[in-house]
Amino acid sequence: MVKQTRRSFVGSTAGTLAGAAAATSLGAAIAEAAPAVGVAPVSRRAQDDRQKITFYHIFGTPPGGTPAASPAPMIQVIDAFNAQSTTTFIESQTPSTAYAEVLQKAQADIAAGNAPDLVITPWSNLNYADEGLGVIDLGTVGGDKLEDVLGNLRQEARDIVTKDDRVLGLPWGLSTPIVYYNADVFKQAGVDPETALATWDAFKTDAPKLQEALGGNPVIAFTFNKDWPAQTLVQCNGGRIVNDDGTFGFTSDEAKAAMQMVADLDKDGLYDRSTSQEIRPNFVSGATAVFIASVASLKGLRNDVAFTLGTAPWPTFADKARKASTGGSFIGVYTRDESHYAGIWEFFTFCTSQAGYEIWNQTGYINISTHDFPQLDGQAPAYTQFEEGLIRETNWPGARGLEAQTTWATFVERIWANDISVDEGVSEAESELSAIVG
Amino acid sequence: MALARNKMDAPSLSDAARPAPIVSRRPWTWYRLVEGITPYLLIAPLLILIIVFIYWPLIYSFYLSFFDWNFVRPDKTFVGFDNFTRLPNDPRFIRSLRGTFVYFVALVPIQVFLPLLLALLLWPIRKSRAQTSYRIMLFSPTVIAYSVAAVMWLWIFNPLQGVLNKVLAEFGVERINWLSDRDTAIWAIIIVATWKTLGFHLLLYMAALEAVPEDYVEAASLDGASNWQIMRSIRFPLITPTFFFVLVTTVISVNDDVFGAINVLTNGGPFESTTNIIYYLYQQGFQYFQIGAASAVAVIVFLATVLLTWLQFRFVERHVHYG
Repeated sequence: MVKQTRRSFVGSTAGTLAGAAAATSLGAAIAEAAPAVGVAPVSRRAQDDRQKITFYHIFGTPPGGTPAASPAPMIQVIDAFNAQSTTTFIESQTPSTAYAEVLQKAQADIAAGNAPDLVITPWSNLNYADEGLGVIDLGTVGGDKLEDVLGNLRQEARDIVTKDDRVLGLPWGLSTPIVYYNADVFKQAGVDPETALATWDAFKTDAPKLQEALGGNPVIAFTFNKDWPAQTLVQCNGGRIVNDDGTFGFTSDEAKAAMQMVADLDKDGLYDRSTSQEIRPNFVSGATAVFIASVASLKGLRNDVAFTLGTAPWPTFADKARKASTGGSFIGVYTRDESHYAGIWEFFTFCTSQAGYEIWNQTGYINISTHDFPQLDGQAPAYTQFEEGLIRETNWPGARGLEAQTTWATFVERIWANDISVDEGVSEAESELSAIVG
Repeated sequence: MALARNKMDAPSLSDAARPAPIVSRRPWTWYRLVEGITPYLLIAPLLILIIVFIYWPLIYSFYLSFFDWNFVRPDKTFVGFDNFTRLPNDPRFIRSLRGTFVYFVALVPIQVFLPLLLALLLWPIRKSRAQTSYRIMLFSPTVIAYSVAAVMWLWIFNPLQGVLNKVLAEFGVERINWLSDRDTAIWAIIIVATWKTLGFHLLLYMAALEAVPEDYVEAASLDGASNWQIMRSIRFPLITPTFFFVLVTTVISVNDDVFGAINVLTNGGPFESTTNIIYYLYQQGFQYFQIGAASAVAVIVFLATVLLTWLQFRFVERHVHYG
């Protein structure tokens, strides 16, 4: 056994402390070098006497994309605001690039008495933000200056965040699911995308040719949370997932027929059943040919693919009207400190100004401001669907709405992958969801 | 007994001759104070951490299991045993129990016996450099974060481009949806969890084998014992404390161990076929913010763990040789 003396103890302790200090320095260096994902880099933290407003969001990278060399548009908006404001500093934090995880952190921080001032909140969680998290009405925050901000936004967007005459957040990232396709595969298969993606019947006719061109791989994939594209699918066939009066709409014949359509694609081996982590890489690498995902993924996909990327609106069911759903998020105010209202409002005013919104508009989200900006290449299908009228993303009622949403998404996956028949799936879903929603 | 005998044998002394009891006359000093409280001060930091991060949450979970609360609402609604009674009627809870059972039955034997087998295979080459390489290779997954490992495993399991399907295709095997088919996904999780935990248990067994006195082995060899007899009658009995430790900790943690793999690879899917009770707890607590329900599940997990651990101590520990 080595004898411990005071000298050796002091020496070893000093060594340990030096090691810890080195590790801390290393951590700081990593934080500096890190991309905008995770805790905000040190350089972006408030380092002056301005009032600090914390903002949790998911936009550390281009939506759906890989970290870019330049800061993501949201970071650019924040940086531009911080550069011009003399009274307010927005501290940007990106705890995750997934909405649910950002909300989890926000909820934990609110519970710990350390509520973030602003949190990006999905449209689908509007009810939960109101009933569960205590999101603050913008009328309370903006007071008589409410129209200075909301006046810069289109009425359709304002309607989505309005509940019982209260405006529950700043409409910000408005997306809708659109069709992305690999134009090279279509060309190789001799399939005209305009014709093949016009209706689901036409797609089913041409899909086998695409499958052959792909070497037998499945042709089409739907984005991560299957409940979201399922909503547009059902609506395009004249159904609803949840009716406006809160009753279940997915039990209707129209909804069942729409769900059956994907199950039929699966039976023919045309539907990519891969997991949520796998479907995007499959499309990006050219293993599948059609990917239905948010328009907000446009920039990321464009950066990542090596083939000619095409976009199209959703195929329709014969001559029925297309009724796509909204997606994306609003900026909710969760601060518990009223003295932050002025700073928040100053930031919102900048965000919705011509200068602020122009930066944000690079993402691919639909321009919901009253400012005119040129459309991005490939964005047209989203505007087509927007002009046709988007239906608000399903907000599952009740305190267990989040659980209901996940449960329905699981049933959609099961039905589409023929793990259960449409009739059985809808029936079981109705039973389980009734127990959850009440 | 020895003390009693000494007392009886001791010559009796008259009261006058008996020496006066020794009464400490040392003054109360800072030295004595510090000497007295030092042990408590030394354990205090750890004790505080254990109380704050283990015992207090445990007690608070019991308390919260009787309430409906979402962490944020200022008021908690007392619901009695509702959070417990609703569980048997929740199909997702039942599915999570099924997954828990499968993981338990598959992973406990794998995680306990496979590293033991590998340790025994590595034992003959313990003095060669190759063994160090094996150790590093087998232990390194233990220190790799699941989020990092997930990237690798996702590409291995990818149905369209993954290396596993590519290799199998060479043998004429048709495409397998490893992570999106309910029949294969749970086995994919088991493979990843085994890969992740194997090294740590291997290291424990290797250390235990090192500690077996070679004298015993040499004596048995001289008596003509075969390698198998030496293993069965000398080495294995002497490493049973480690075996028992691995068994108990595996039973306690096996469903925690798969949580990381579930979370990064399947999110409990496809169709909740890879979920388990820990993932269900996580979803209730941190995805749906049903803190009361999550606490009720935590209480059930705690009680089940206590019961299983007690059973092991009751029925398995008797076979352990502590030397």
